[in-house]
Amino acid sequence: MSSRPVKKALGFLRSGRVLVGAALVGIVLFSALFAPILAPHDPQEQNLVATLVPPVWSVDGDPTYLLGTDSLGRDVLSRLLHGARVAMTVAVLASLGAMLVGATLAHLGGYFGGKLDWLIGRAVDVWMSFPPVVLSLVLMTGLGAGISSVILAIVLVDWTRFCRVLRAEVLVTRHQDYVAAARLVGFSHWRTLTREILPATLPLLITLLSIEMGIAVIVEAILSFVGMSVGANQSAWGQMIADARQTIYESGWNLLLPMLAIFFTVLGFNLLGDGLRRTLDPRLLQAREL
Amino acid sequence: MIVQLLGLFGRRLVVAIPILLIVSALVFVVLRVLPVDPAAMSMPPNATQAEIELKRQEMGLDRPLPEQYAIWLGRTVRGDLGASIHFRRAVSSLIAETLPATVELALLAMLIAAGLGFAGGLLLFHLRGTWRGEAADLGSTVLMSAPDFLWGLMFILAFGVLWPLLPFTGRLASSFARPVHTGFLLLDTLIEGRPDMFLDALKHMILPATALGLAFSVPIMRVLRSTLFEVEQADYIRQARLRGVSESRILLRHALKNAILPTLTLMGVQFGFLFGGTLLIEVIYSYPGLGNLMVDAVRNADLPIIQAVALAYAAVVLIINIVVDGLYLVLNPRLRSAR
Repeated sequence: MSSRPVKKALGFLRSGRVLVGAALVGIVLFSALFAPILAPHDPQEQNLVATLVPPVWSVDGDPTYLLGTDSLGRDVLSRLLHGARVAMTVAVLASLGAMLVGATLAHLGGYFGGKLDWLIGRAVDVWMSFPPVVLSLVLMTGLGAGISSVILAIVLVDWTRFCRVLRAEVLVTRHQDYVAAARLVGFSHWRTLTREILPATLPLLITLLSIEMGIAVIVEAILSFVGMSVGANQSAWGQMIADARQTIYESGWNLLLPMLAIFFTVLGFNLLGDGLRRTLDPRLLQAREL
Repeated sequence: MIVQLLGLFGRRLVVAIPILLIVSALVFVVLRVLPVDPAAMSMPPNATQAEIELKRQEMGLDRPLPEQYAIWLGRTVRGDLGASIHFRRAVSSLIAETLPATVELALLAMLIAAGLGFAGGLLLFHLRGTWRGEAADLGSTVLMSAPDFLWGLMFILAFGVLWPLLPFTGRLASSFARPVHTGFLLLDTLIEGRPDMFLDALKHMILPATALGLAFSVPIMRVLRSTLFEVEQADYIRQARLRGVSESRILLRHALKNAILPTLTLMGVQFGFLFGGTLLIEVIYSYPGLGNLMVDAVRNADLPIIQAVALAYAAVVLIINIVVDGLYLVLNPRLRSAR
């Protein structure tokens, strides 16, 4: 049972997560950054004589369109690569924004306690009484369609994910002896928060950030699926799914490919987050599953 | 016990009502910064400016925001949710039609999520420490990366198109006339005494409910597994083991019983999320529930519907939370005796 290869395999299954996750995220990030160079076609260019061409590995495949074309004859590979740009832009900016708002409120509330903490706690309660999808749809109605609205909506919806979990962590840390010692030595509140408490909550923060990036990719896909994200002159994965749904009987690949893109991106972020949690903070292994 | 339950419900209601008020005020404010004019939208396109102005006054849109909110709130409390701009019907009747459909779908999905979650959690725990356990654990992370709507689309592709096994649009085959008693279709078909119709309605729900249930079963299994890990450390488990009680009996009779409460708490939270998840699943499966109503309303900027549906979602989530707290009280003997 505890022979060496088994142990090795166990070890890889644990630490391999970070590697595999980082690799997946790296591939998507690379595609996003270099989409204009990598894409063999203009993602908007329509070729109405070559619509719904299957991928190159099918019998009727055409090597000019490696992953085939959609119902308007647009190259699926190019659209996927450009869709990665939208997904990654939203993932990075929205989750950083949500983290900034949520983590700041969590640290202030958890550290100072009192009325401020009570107020933040009630705000989280109100937010949590809304299913996130519903709240983001309401916000999108108010903000209007567009990628910056998507980012803002995600920040405004998902700050609670950071706030809830981190606040509990700050509360625990605040009562540690070394924090009391720092105050006794005469550290200011600001310095205590940034130098003593933040380093303790950082592993959790990074883990949450990685997972939130995956969530942001999903939310962007949902919003572009219902036509509230980027305009028709840009390509996004959710939009590709919505288009492919119309021709599901003619071409399953058109539906499957953007779904796989979303799945592997989210999987990358989740593996990264899950792996980082295990590596950075073994205490979290069992206690905090969500 | 009943007194305690009533007390709990009372206390929770006292908290829930202000939350609903704040939620409704927030939604109201967000929707009022919209650059569209609901008055102009509810008029025929050839209406004159003066007519639109008259309509604005009639709808109360010329008054200050707090006053508008007060008027809306007053009507809402009396059950008048206004009229849909797009459908030209009372919003309350639209919601009465769609809410049962969504609740029915969510309940079935939760049942599936709970079943899969418990089975998976026990399996994960059973395989702990082996390479199969690690692989299953990794598998659960992989499963968690596929959100409900991807499962939904995948099922359509697999069991609707490639291997046409189950229907994937609507609630009932068009050859049936839909019976209306409670709005809950499974119940209504039974009331009518039509097992064939019941079966058809159930068939229509299998794919969307399984897609939702599968996505939400993963967190349940993971929490059940880690709670079982914690419970296993307890003295009474070691005691049972020393007495020579069989592993499966320890797991099912002793450990599971104590691991159920934290899992139930999580399921309450999950049910709230799952209820939100019905929104997109309904759109994908053209299932006539709240979610489809909401997305249609968002596309048409139909403010009265958006407002009311958002509030309906929030109200259901709050009710779910209260019911789960009640269940918790019923199931946890430690809370019951503490008087």
